[in-house]
Amino acid sequence: MKHDFLDKYSKLGSVIHKLDPRAKIITFLLFIIFVITTAPHDYLSFAAYAAVISIVVFLSKVPLSYVFKRVLVIIPFVLLVAIFLPFANKGPEGWTIFWNVMIKSFLAVLATIMLSSTTKFHKLLKGFELLKFPKIMIMMLAFMYRYVFILVDEAHRMERARDSRYFGGEYLRQIKIVCNIIGLLFIRAYERGERVYQSMSARGFDGNIITMNELKYVKSDMIFYIIFTGMILTIKIWSLF
Amino acid sequence: MKKVIEINDLCYSYPDEKIALENINLDIFEGESVGIVGANGAGKTTLILHINGIIRSNNGNIKVIDMEMTDKNIRKIRSKVGLVFQNPEDQLFSPTVFEDVSFGPLNMKLSPDEVIKRTTDALEMVEMSGFENRSSHHLSEGEKKRISIATVLSMNPEILVLDEPTSNLDPKHRRELIHLLKKFNKTIIIVSHDLEAMLELCDRTVLMNKGEIVKDGKTRELMSDRKLMEDNYLECPLSLKN
Ligand SMILES: Nc1ncnc2c1ncn2[C@@H]1O[C@H](COP(=O)(O)OP(=O)(O)OP(=O)(O)O)[C@@H](O)[C@H]1O
Ligand SMILES: [Mg+2]
Repeated sequence: MKHDFLDKYSKLGSVIHKLDPRAKIITFLLFIIFVITTAPHDYLSFAAYAAVISIVVFLSKVPLSYVFKRVLVIIPFVLLVAIFLPFANKGPEGWTIFWNVMIKSFLAVLATIMLSSTTKFHKLLKGFELLKFPKIMIMMLAFMYRYVFILVDEAHRMERARDSRYFGGEYLRQIKIVCNIIGLLFIRAYERGERVYQSMSARGFDGNIITMNELKYVKSDMIFYIIFTGMILTIKIWSLF
Repeated sequence: MKKVIEINDLCYSYPDEKIALENINLDIFEGESVGIVGANGAGKTTLILHINGIIRSNNGNIKVIDMEMTDKNIRKIRSKVGLVFQNPEDQLFSPTVFEDVSFGPLNMKLSPDEVIKRTTDALEMVEMSGFENRSSHHLSEGEKKRISIATVLSMNPEILVLDEPTSNLDPKHRRELIHLLKKFNKTIIIVSHDLEAMLELCDRTVLMNKGEIVKDGKTRELMSDRKLMEDNYLECPLSLKN
């Protein structure tokens, strides 16, 4: 079975897609920090940041409908937290904080979505690795990405096997079967872990993760750095005066 | 001829006390191609996991290329013995094909240029060039199988050990794999239920049943012995029947 919901659209070939993952990680991280540290009343800056990220969305050629669907998944959670703010702080101040939280999280979420939907997962990991994130964490994410779908498939297969032999019955029995499936899934995952470790050992793995640097900055990465960090830096500095 | 693998009085039981290997004595010589056959659960996989030190038993001893199987030697042994597992899903664990195939060479601490060269060469050998940046969960079973073999070829092993190499391959790719293995002029050990392929590839065959070696001899002779084959839940290959 094939799955790609984690990094759908990451295979498009736009200018943004072709950038070095490190350039994107750093720029988007800066973007998020700048947005978060903007003063609550500075709506002009927010508008400017929105314009910058819109340009990125436009350049990336990722369908707008997809971007907004992704945003809609996350915004309700923010709303759930933010909705109490106006009540906790009396008067117009409360609403300012509310809008402030909403706008900031919207922009930050937009930036993360752009990062994940314009970068293949393995490139993203490589980028984080070269930016000196802990290797063990990157390896965990890599394994997750590799095996989560296999586990999902395994669960589906067991479910299908159950359905093909199960013709309805008591509720209690049904619960028991589901529990068995969950237990079995756990054992299978554990055993797979063991076999994967065996195959790593067989190829000389001794606990040290050795990787290779296959990324190289090219001219377009530099141009992107200069233009986009330049833009957000200008907005930041200009808002300080 | 030089002995490359020497197994003496090897016994092994899994933690649940099921006896998987009993009194195994086996010598394999340089340049030989040896098949291991036997019914499901006969202990074939368990035996070859010992050659690489993945499973270690207290009973009996194993020597690979004049090296005793000890903690000190195990790294060296593993770089000499390339083991391809039965299930590609266990062999391919990296986000991309390139990372999987370069995993072994990197662990051997080769230079980056050498790693890239070995990886590219290995992929070319199994005719999977151009798949470097694909992720393995989007490949077909046969493609996964071939990449699995490449992950070991890239280490340039002295001894190649394959568990079920032809399963899930279509006839064309099975044929190509057989050609590939024929060209590999080092020691090779194949575990398989594909007796026809063994007949082509291996001069010598070891027959296992319930954890023991029942017979060790010339492939052709062993496989045409109808009674022996059937007593061990196997069947003579069609090409030998008449
Ligand atoms: N991890 C394990 N724990 C306990 N018992 C095991 C384990 N792996 C294998 N066995 C048992 O050891 C015996 C030998 O298994 P092995 O996998 O070596 O067989 P095989 O000859 O490779 O079979 P197949 O042709 O099906 O691959 C079997 O009876 C099996 O049930
Ligand atoms: Mg087996």
